[in-house]
Amino acid sequence: MSTDTEGESLARREPDTARPEPERPYGYVVGSAPDGVERELSHDEFDPVGTLTLIFAYFVILVVMWVFMYFVEFLGRGLTVVG
Amino acid sequence: MATFVDRYPEEASVVKACLTVAFVSLGIGAFFGLVQALHRTGVVRLFSSVDYYTVLTAHGVLLALVFTIFFLLGLFTWAITRSLERPLPNIRLTWAWVGLAQAGTVATAAAILAGFVPDIGVSADVLFTFYAPMKAHPLFYAGLAMFIVGTWLAGADWFLAYREWRKDNPDERIPLQTFMVLTTMLMWYLATIGVAVEVVVFLLPWSFGIVETVNPLLTRTLFWFFGHPVVYFWLMPAYLMWYTILPKLAGGRLFSDPLARVVFVLFLLLSTPVGIHHQYLDPGIAEGFKFIAMTNTMFLLLPSLLTAFTVVASMEHGARQRGGEGRLRWLGALPWRDPAFTGMALAGLMFAAGGFSGMINAGMNINYLIHNTLWVPGHFHLTVGTAVALTMMAGSYWLVPQLTGRKLYSRPIGLAQVVLWFVGMVFMSNAMHRAGLAGVPRRTAEPQYNSFDFTTTMGSIEELQLQIAVGGTLLFVSVVLFSFNMLASAIEDPVETPVDDRLPAPLSGADGSPRVLDNLRLWTAIAVVLVVLAYTLPLASIVQDAGLFGNVPGVPMLIGNFVESLAGVIA
Repeated sequence: MSTDTEGESLARREPDTARPEPERPYGYVVGSAPDGVERELSHDEFDPVGTLTLIFAYFVILVVMWVFMYFVEFLGRGLTVVG
Repeated sequence: MATFVDRYPEEASVVKACLTVAFVSLGIGAFFGLVQALHRTGVVRLFSSVDYYTVLTAHGVLLALVFTIFFLLGLFTWAITRSLERPLPNIRLTWAWVGLAQAGTVATAAAILAGFVPDIGVSADVLFTFYAPMKAHPLFYAGLAMFIVGTWLAGADWFLAYREWRKDNPDERIPLQTFMVLTTMLMWYLATIGVAVEVVVFLLPWSFGIVETVNPLLTRTLFWFFGHPVVYFWLMPAYLMWYTILPKLAGGRLFSDPLARVVFVLFLLLSTPVGIHHQYLDPGIAEGFKFIAMTNTMFLLLPSLLTAFTVVASMEHGARQRGGEGRLRWLGALPWRDPAFTGMALAGLMFAAGGFSGMINAGMNINYLIHNTLWVPGHFHLTVGTAVALTMMAGSYWLVPQLTGRKLYSRPIGLAQVVLWFVGMVFMSNAMHRAGLAGVPRRTAEPQYNSFDFTTTMGSIEELQLQIAVGGTLLFVSVVLFSFNMLASAIEDPVETPVDDRLPAPLSGADGSPRVLDNLRLWTAIAVVLVVLAYTLPLASIVQDAGLFGNVPGVPMLIGNFVESLAGVIA
């Protein structure tokens, strides 16, 4: 897979630069988020603590909702298949 | 900086041909969705309820099969070509499968839509789940068969491209996107055995009148043999985009290439031996077999949770590179004004909610609570209807400019479109889940009954119906905006760099991971063994009970027996 990691800014055309930028539309270009990179984080520098927080919150929601569904909605209704 | 269309013009034409069919189907299918949402909630009934199943079949087949799979055909062609960095080996073969799949689609769609004109004498109101005893015109099955053979040839085309690449790169790891395409296609070959046998051996001869009867339970089981893995066939293109495109759209890099490979291998192994979980209420399949299917299904949570971690971590990497801080404040540093990013992120969020309702569906006992209620369409409008469809639409904002060399017509309209889809689905899907809990059935034109009122724990049925109607309308408006944006983008002036199409290398690459991950023969063999274990005995039992072509008087007898035996068990 072809890859590149350069973060050079391509968001705005600057016609007078020494190395001409490729023709690029004005305004926000889809996929240009790497232009906003302020710092490069390597694998060892990156600590996904935010991901842990989100996954943990999701897990708590899952457990609470499952308990509600099983004990209140399901068992709470009694048998209704044959009445 | 040249983009895809400049490097691979022939392949770009192929991808565009596939996406065009996908988007046309999306437009027609979404219209039928709106009609249905308004009809069954009683807001506006534009047509006779007799035609409801024609509308429902067209909605299901055009969106769940044609839109998703044609998008997949285009996306995978793009992914194989760009990740192997070479044109496809035989472009005539490529156009042959495009043509075959398109011809099959036209035949199937014609058979369905002919149902609106009774004088023609052709109809196929058999829903997306086209098993017996519902019978369609032979044109429907023949079209489906052509469509599926088209996908098989597409897979063959991609494997040939991989073989050519392997000759020149004997020691390289399989590029990640190619790995994803190949494992998905192996899963597809295995899964479509079920539907191929169902259609070719049973439904087509039955539809032509060559055989008198079929064994309904056998065709149902063969359908679900295919019917569950097909949801992963829809989902894997979305996963491909979440793993290989979304991190870049967030300004970061994929957290782990090996984890992505593990996830795709797990889907190859576990997608197929689970179909019986759609048949928890089917008589004629022993509880033990259902329990095995449930266990396999629960294992499928693993790759989805791995994906939640890897994809969110990759997004967080982007946010932190863009200056994000804190435990949750980094979310604000993500590029929310990019419609491709925002659409995919919202789709992932919806998929998390769909994971919850999927857990309820998968439980053998709790499934009884929601079986055949509106909860189930509520669930799959979160998964295929948003996780997949919204990811595909959002991905198009990034992908299509690479195929046309023209920039996206309007970023703000794109952003409004993906947000509108999300909001519309929050209304519609949430209300469908709650209506299902109140017992409102699915697949019903007029879910209202004399002397009986559905009761809800909170709110009212009227409120739920309003939410479904409003949600369905917002979703349709969203599709209109999408179609307009795509059409307007097609007439923009070509520019050299219409989109930023660079894909950065993963943080953790494939080099350090076990080479066995790339052993496709091994994983295929294990997948086959798992399917044999899960299906041999249930299928043998079904055939033994009622014969290959059926020797029971009819389906109601089976239901009668089931109720009697259930009453016996309870007594």
